[in-house]
Amino acid sequence: MSEERTERRPRPRGGRRPRRKVCSFCVDKIEYIDYKDINRLRRYTNERGKILPRRMSGNCAKHQRQLSEAIKRARAIALLPFTVD
Amino acid sequence: MNRYELTYIIDTALEETARKELIEKVSGLIAANGGEVEKVDETWGKRRLAYAINYKTEGWYVLVTFKAPAELPRELERNLEIYDSVLRYLVVKLVEKKSSVKPRPARPVAPVAAPVEEAAPAAEEAPAVEEAPAAEAAPVVEEAPAADAE
Repeated sequence: MSEERTERRPRPRGGRRPRRKVCSFCVDKIEYIDYKDINRLRRYTNERGKILPRRMSGNCAKHQRQLSEAIKRARAIALLPFTVD
Repeated sequence: MNRYELTYIIDTALEETARKELIEKVSGLIAANGGEVEKVDETWGKRRLAYAINYKTEGWYVLVTFKAPAELPRELERNLEIYDSVLRYLVVKLVEKKSSVKPRPARPVAPVAAPVEEAAPAAEEAPAVEEAPAAEAAPVVEEAPAADAE
């Protein structure tokens, strides 16, 4: 699997296609994303504190759902900001 | 009985004795309603809030893990709402299959246990050369069960 990914595919005409990202939670075999794990969660928010979309983070749907839940919980108890301006 | 985790933030304006009292009171509340407190964790302690709550920028974080019947969280939340010095609270049901990283596992036990156990096998298998890698591997192996036990 990993060999396939590193291989350079010819780009289709009319635009560059970025390499498909792999879900980092699947790679780390994480089954449950803890809201207390702020340093990890922070990597999935932008500088304004917004949750990064899947197309940016490359997460799978399952982990993206867990991640957004975890970030929202962390926000609720002031571990992460709702907004940064 | 389910396992829950309660995180709450106490106003830092509260003195230490009053804070201890409040923590006791909350634990007592869980026990009084048929719950069973497993652990009260204050390792975070005073922490900067990500945003101001009631114009306060700091809070004292307390984590409580407990076993309780399903009706308890509701009652607990009702009571936490009453205490003025509790700025925020969050009750979450613990997922058993949890394999997420623990932010701060109880470290002191692991490093002590690791060298003692690993010293003997390393010496038996390979006298001198292999000792360094074995010692490196030891803490990693030992840490995982310790984190799970939490």
